[in-house]
Amino acid sequence: MTIRLGRRQFLMGSSALAAAAAAGISPAFAQSALRLIFWGGQARADRTYAVTDLYEAAGNPGLEAEFLSWNDYWPKLATQTAGGTAPDIIQMDYRYIVEYATRNAIAPLDDVIGDLGEFDADQLEGGKVDGQLYGISLGANSVATLVNKAAFEAIGEAVPDNSWTYADLERLGEAFNSAGNGMRAFSDGSGTEPMLDNWLRQRGQALYTADNKLGFTADDMVEWFQMWDGFRQKGYIVDAETQALDTGAPESSMVAMKRAAMMPSNSNQLVIHQSINDDELTISSYPRIAPGVGGGHYRKPSMFFSVGGSTADREAAAAFINFFVTNPEAGAILGVERGIPCNAAVREAITPTLDEQSQIALNFVANLGDLVGALPPSPPAAAGEIDLNLLRVISQEVAFGARSPEDAGKAFVEDATAILARANA
Amino acid sequence: MTVHAADAAPQDAASGTSKWSRAWQSHAPGYLFLLPWFIGFFGLTIGPIISSFYLSFTDFDLLTSPDWVGFANYERMFTNDRTFATSMRVTFTFVLFSVPLKLAFALAIAILLNRGMKGLPLYRAVFYLPSLLGASVAIAILWRQIFAGDGLVNQFLSIFGIVGPSWISNPNYSLWTLIVLSVWQFGSPMIIFLAGLRQIPQDMYEAASLDGASKWRQFWKITLPLLTPVVFFNAIIQTIEAFKSFTPAFIISNGTGSPINSTLFYTLYLYNEAFSYFRMGYASALAWFLLLLIACFTAFSFLTSKYWVHYDD
Repeated sequence: MTIRLGRRQFLMGSSALAAAAAAGISPAFAQSALRLIFWGGQARADRTYAVTDLYEAAGNPGLEAEFLSWNDYWPKLATQTAGGTAPDIIQMDYRYIVEYATRNAIAPLDDVIGDLGEFDADQLEGGKVDGQLYGISLGANSVATLVNKAAFEAIGEAVPDNSWTYADLERLGEAFNSAGNGMRAFSDGSGTEPMLDNWLRQRGQALYTADNKLGFTADDMVEWFQMWDGFRQKGYIVDAETQALDTGAPESSMVAMKRAAMMPSNSNQLVIHQSINDDELTISSYPRIAPGVGGGHYRKPSMFFSVGGSTADREAAAAFINFFVTNPEAGAILGVERGIPCNAAVREAITPTLDEQSQIALNFVANLGDLVGALPPSPPAAAGEIDLNLLRVISQEVAFGARSPEDAGKAFVEDATAILARANA
Repeated sequence: MTVHAADAAPQDAASGTSKWSRAWQSHAPGYLFLLPWFIGFFGLTIGPIISSFYLSFTDFDLLTSPDWVGFANYERMFTNDRTFATSMRVTFTFVLFSVPLKLAFALAIAILLNRGMKGLPLYRAVFYLPSLLGASVAIAILWRQIFAGDGLVNQFLSIFGIVGPSWISNPNYSLWTLIVLSVWQFGSPMIIFLAGLRQIPQDMYEAASLDGASKWRQFWKITLPLLTPVVFFNAIIQTIEAFKSFTPAFIISNGTGSPINSTLFYTLYLYNEAFSYFRMGYASALAWFLLLLIACFTAFSFLTSKYWVHYDD
């Protein structure tokens, strides 16, 4: 039995459940069905439900699945976990996996996951915390520059390929400015954590070290803010007021609003951005700091499935996850919407069936070449706070002229160090 | 009923039980009907309030069981948290401007509507409508569109050749768009003012007119003094509402308080501490401080009320 819940049905269903519970009736499916929770949009939900249908049709226990938006997802999951009613199968993000694993809110999978076939080693590694497997990667992706192809055609410039550099960004900035159609070359990336990470990695540094410390100094951060401030003052990137309109939703992005021709994104998000854009989009790498310098990118697990820490039947939950990532039919339904499948057989089976945008994403991740460096350690606890509460705020302070880049760089390192020390004490 | 019970008491050997059972019989249906409310009140309001008081002295992170930390959360609030100070400033600015503006606006419209115009019920409904819609998600999203760089406000200004900023995403103006949104929801204080205005005896105005008092003077000498109990009530309710305001800021900045924390309301900061950074213990302490703050404000209003609120006795 598969049960689909939209928000309204969920409300009605949960009141019915509460009523049933109050009356001492235990619903029949409470015993057998696994509960699955994930974040995403309707497109992801349709694909996921098709797979749960498939799983059930093969004679397996049914699933009761629920999906929410990213913003609503984490409060809900945290509250359910606190209340001891966490779902059996939990979609997990790279950023939170350490926090959940170290608090036993998700369970280790090493002994229950079974045979994953020929599975990408770096993707398995990405799901480990302290040497134990806590999450199975649902797909590999990489950071990427989202490019509005039509905008480049309009001004007669070539779309950047994977060799492009920050110097090219300046050149393109001039080109877009002289075209004078109000579109800037790039969005403001100074507050985009993956862009900072990528830039540091190209310099042989890191955002975070394995022992939960910052992998760079205040001088590096000053240089980062100065670089973007230069871009901003020359009009290569959008101004502060415009950038602040971006709330993180795809439809408020600088590319969607036609304010910038390019912006930082992820390879798997090409599909989503294209679905709300009338201009043709593509992706290329993040800019290099100098020609030929690589090592900034890595194949990141886009998201995981984990098993809830209080789950009664870990084997049953793990069996579904195994099916989800190794079954070729399931793979054909899921496509690359969650990233490039990690199981080699699934990847080969689905490649010929993909549409053009999905092919671009797949080829991009497969052909990163010298851009790829080592997988960084999982981010420390409070990495989310440093991104949301510190990097975004301080980068806006610089953009609006409330702080100098010099001051901002020092303040960032000082505050981030304090946050890390408190969270990892 | 009570008389009967009292009469029965001396005669009945089992007087206590009888009295009780009679009283119970008469009140039971009432309590039974109140039961859903009691369950909600104790289970969903009082229970969580008490447990949050306990949690405010712990390091609860939602995922592991809480450990007692004494006053550490409260100490951090006042000694080592700049964001706390920022969010305080944002909320105080909001309360200080939105409440008086909203009340002034509500009173002005109420006086206009009180002049016995045609189609009064219709106008009253139309002016009340924003109060019903104001806290909704749809309006917050609409507000974004209206005050964005190429939104309605700037299109209007451009008629006069003024190039407006992007109100919603400029830290100098973003809080003001939320204050305007709050003032726009003047409906419920307006209805209450309207009811208050109806209570003022007309003969006072007639007498004042005969004595040659201007409309302006009548307003300051008759309307306002007699309306002070209503002003007092509205001020307290609206101040509490303003301190608790959350939804518009949450939707408009997508929970970030952006740009540069200029719309980081205290409640939004509290929410982020609890659910984005998993510091439920600290968030509980923040919540209790807010409760205390609102209580102080209300108590202060009551203490000063005897100097400016005129009751009709």
